Amino acid sequence: MKVEIVTHRDGKEATVGFEYEKRFEAERPMVLDVLLQAQARTMPDLAFRYGCRARNCGVCTVDINGKPRIACRARAREGDTISPVATLPVLSDLVVRRDGIARQMRGRLSSGGQGNNLNVEAPEAYHDLTACIECYACLDKCPMHARNFDGGLPGDVQNAEDLPDASKGYRWGNPFSLLKLQRIRIDPLTTDAGRQAAVDNAIDLGLDACVGCAGCKCGVGIDLMGQVVGELLEAAKDRLPSSKT
Amino acid sequence: MTIKTEWLDYDVIVVGSGGAGGQAASVAAEEGARVLVVSKDPIGCSDTKISEGIATVRASGSDDDSAAGLSENLRMGGGDLNVEAITDAFAQDSQAGYDRLRSHGLRPPIDAERNTPKPLPLPLGGHTKRRSVGHRNSGIAFGHASWNAVIEGSRIDYLEDAWFLDLVTEETGAGKDAPAKRVIGGLIYDASKGCLIAVRAPAVVIAAGGLSTIFFPKTDTMRGNTGDSYAVAARAGAELVDMEQVQFLPFCLASPPSYEGLCAGEPVTASFLGVLRDKNGKVILDGVYLRTRAECSSAIMRTVEAGNGSPNGGAYLDMTANKKLPRSGPYFMRFLQTCLPSAYNTARQALGKAAGKCEVEWEVRPGAHYQMGGIRTNEHGASAGGDGAGETAHGIAGLFAAGQAMGGVFGANRLGSTALTENAVFGARSGRAAAETARTTSHTANDDAFAPFIAETASRFGQKGDVAASALKLELQRESWTCIGPVRTADRLEKLAALLQDWRERLERVSIPAHTVWNQAFMEFEELRNMLETAEAVAAAAQNRDGSVGGHVRLDRGNISAFSTPYSTVVNRVPDGGYLVRRVARPRQPLKRLVSYKLQENWRKFQIKLLLMMPSGMQDKNLEKRYQAIMGASGAAPEVTPGGVDAAIGEATKA
Ligand SMILES: Cc1cc2nc3c(=O)[nH]c(=O)nc-3n(C[C@H](O)[C@H](O)[C@H](O)COP(=O)(O)OP(=O)(O)OC[C@H]3O[C@@H](n4cnc5c(N)ncnc54)[C@H](O)[C@@H]3O)c2cc1C
Ligand code: SF4
Ligand code: SF4
Ligand code: FES
Repeated sequence: MKVEIVTHRDGKEATVGFEYEKRFEAERPMVLDVLLQAQARTMPDLAFRYGCRARNCGVCTVDINGKPRIACRARAREGDTISPVATLPVLSDLVVRRDGIARQMRGRLSSGGQGNNLNVEAPEAYHDLTACIECYACLDKCPMHARNFDGGLPGDVQNAEDLPDASKGYRWGNPFSLLKLQRIRIDPLTTDAGRQAAVDNAIDLGLDACVGCAGCKCGVGIDLMGQVVGELLEAAKDRLPSSKT
Repeated sequence: MTIKTEWLDYDVIVVGSGGAGGQAASVAAEEGARVLVVSKDPIGCSDTKISEGIATVRASGSDDDSAAGLSENLRMGGGDLNVEAITDAFAQDSQAGYDRLRSHGLRPPIDAERNTPKPLPLPLGGHTKRRSVGHRNSGIAFGHASWNAVIEGSRIDYLEDAWFLDLVTEETGAGKDAPAKRVIGGLIYDASKGCLIAVRAPAVVIAAGGLSTIFFPKTDTMRGNTGDSYAVAARAGAELVDMEQVQFLPFCLASPPSYEGLCAGEPVTASFLGVLRDKNGKVILDGVYLRTRAECSSAIMRTVEAGNGSPNGGAYLDMTANKKLPRSGPYFMRFLQTCLPSAYNTARQALGKAAGKCEVEWEVRPGAHYQMGGIRTNEHGASAGGDGAGETAHGIAGLFAAGQAMGGVFGANRLGSTALTENAVFGARSGRAAAETARTTSHTANDDAFAPFIAETASRFGQKGDVAASALKLELQRESWTCIGPVRTADRLEKLAALLQDWRERLERVSIPAHTVWNQAFMEFEELRNMLETAEAVAAAAQNRDGSVGGHVRLDRGNISAFSTPYSTVVNRVPDGGYLVRRVARPRQPLKRLVSYKLQENWRKFQIKLLLMMPSGMQDKNLEKRYQAIMGASGAAPEVTPGGVDAAIGEATKA
């Protein structure tokens, strides 16, 4: 099985063909298997992230034919092109810099809920959102996140110096950061002030981009539009420009 | 091209952002320390995040669940290799530690009547009380709690994609009654920035997880478990304890390759009639459900040794007899599906429909899961040395360990649901103790001591050579499996020692390009360096322990009797190469407890024989009753932790 791997080194991009040797006739390898074999056979310092091989850790996300997929649980097919996730800046080969996402949440997560009785059952929705493995597949085509890159992708930015500084946290949000905020809102231990702060933070991160947006999709099946975006838009409805559609 | 070095100053460095690191950082920060978390994976990405998410919370199931009882459970399970002060600390702090996770967003099911987190319906094996709390989304819920702990706190700075490479220490010049060395900081490779970072800090907490990647792909853990915790500590001169005690799960998948190593079940899920067979269909172990994990693993590996293993170096777990019986069969299927749902689903996806229905056998092979041994510490996670339980006066001042990195908690065997609690308890304890050390340390770091580390590391960028670190890693992984894996012999331990020498030489010939941002070859090199160090420590300890106990199975020697005086192995690196090994004595449980354990064990094995002798109809009725008793009115089996002793009922009888 032949695939193409898009590599990046020292700012140079190259597309390298790799012929995967099936280990048995009927093998249907995952994309991660292909990358592991490429590293073992022909590209010894091919850079890619992985961890659990079981769709739990969330770090192995790559683009396959331009769409974000979790490499350890995505079957590879003849002719596939494997490239780094387009929504984040590349560090090396298939490894992207993830740091700017988590960092934008610094100082935004306080629930103000210390000292309450901890023995309170969380609602079902809380657990629905906790299923997030932080794979960042949902950044795909998110206009709010694209604001960090002048409305496009990090790859469109010509000069590296013009990229936003990830180590300070991205200015604009994304479905994942909204999910983290919505989770605070539905935590029974959060105070009213904490709930209000979560909405304020969502607005500050660019919630207005969601108004009239075609919407985002989660890599593990969380209902982002219904349980995150919709809820936050409802909570902020008096404070956002009305739908553009 | 040379790589630049930046300098930073902190009170406490925490290495790792899993359960232990997250707690250590947040407690140290609360105590007023300026904290830097260093994590090679993205924040929170860890074994903690991919675990089954079952944690021990004392007194969650009943009010009479004493700290003394929980502490004893751990030592009974651990074959008395554990340190009592450490198991006591675990038992005393389990609730407070768990509540700290809740303050970071972990939300368990609640028993409204008792006003406590709600434990699973049955005590997990080895625990004499119900106290294991399961969580929605399993370990991912704990991953969010670690993430929140680090990201939320304004006093915590952090670096992700940053490899902690080495501790920097200096001689204290103190007399016999105080540590001879103290920590003055550490060196970090920041892969996203492409620079080295020298951090001056009087205290470092190592919470960088385990070593199972030495056995990749025969493991169910995260790829980052390259023994960094142990290697970094050993190179700085710290003592490691019980390093031969690696826990293997017997029933991991051997194929297809994408699923290799992932857990498919546990002894108990094989149920009453589950047996292990060799490639000729001959039964190599019956009564699997009553066996320990080590017994199952060694039966599989002995078969492989004899040339009768399955195509992928394992054996066959045959559960078809359970399924065939007309009355009890349907109960069995429900039992299998609900006992360990994630393992069952993994197996079904990997092995196909017929296997999912237990109409055919499953090919299984042991897989590395958890390292019981680790950095030798006291009950506050502070580096310790010397005789008996160890003293900090013989350790390294300013060095702390927590989580899987530390030894002494579980001895020869870890009970189910205890690792996540270990993280919470000793993360907090070490974070507090590290902050205290920083408060009371007045000396300034000697920058000259960093110079050799910086020079050596910088010289690696652009190193010419004919060896690929990633390929050498694969070689080490293959050989580690045969030599220090689930079964060991004196010959193989010697063989590994020779190989290690050769690999160390080849390590110097690893080719590393000069670019500084995310240099994969450099990372592979560093991880390989740590894997070699750790494999050597495991081999040294394994050579010294010349009989089987717990996770250490010697094919060429007998079992170490539970009646003999227990001891732990202690290893430390000597400056001119190699490991010094010695034994430290441990107090044994009272004889009466041990005798009653032996009797119970024999009685259980006799019961298997009786069951197998029954005519089929009688067997069926008997089993139906037994399933009904286990599964109760709800018809659901109690959940079982992979890696827990509950999953190996035989071990449970130790309590
Ligand atoms: C599949 C599975 C299921 C399990 N189920 C359970 C269960 O239900 N209950 C239970 O109690 N236990 C369970 N365990 C065990 C438990 O999850 C782990 O033992 C525990 O989470 C380890 O926590 P830790 O904080 O010590 O290490 P980890 O959680 O592994 O964290 C290690 C951290 O260190 C970082 N790191 C490593 N090396 C370096 C370095 N050189 N520089 C910088 N950072 C570094 C990593 O990036 C990571 O952030 C399970 C384990 C597995 C694999
Ligand atoms: S919300 Fe879904 S897609 Fe986005 S990071 Fe979480 S798991 Fe991935
Ligand atoms: S709905 Fe909001 S979060 Fe989702 S893609 Fe659109 S802008 Fe992004
Ligand atoms: S490797 Fe962990 S999600 Fe893919």
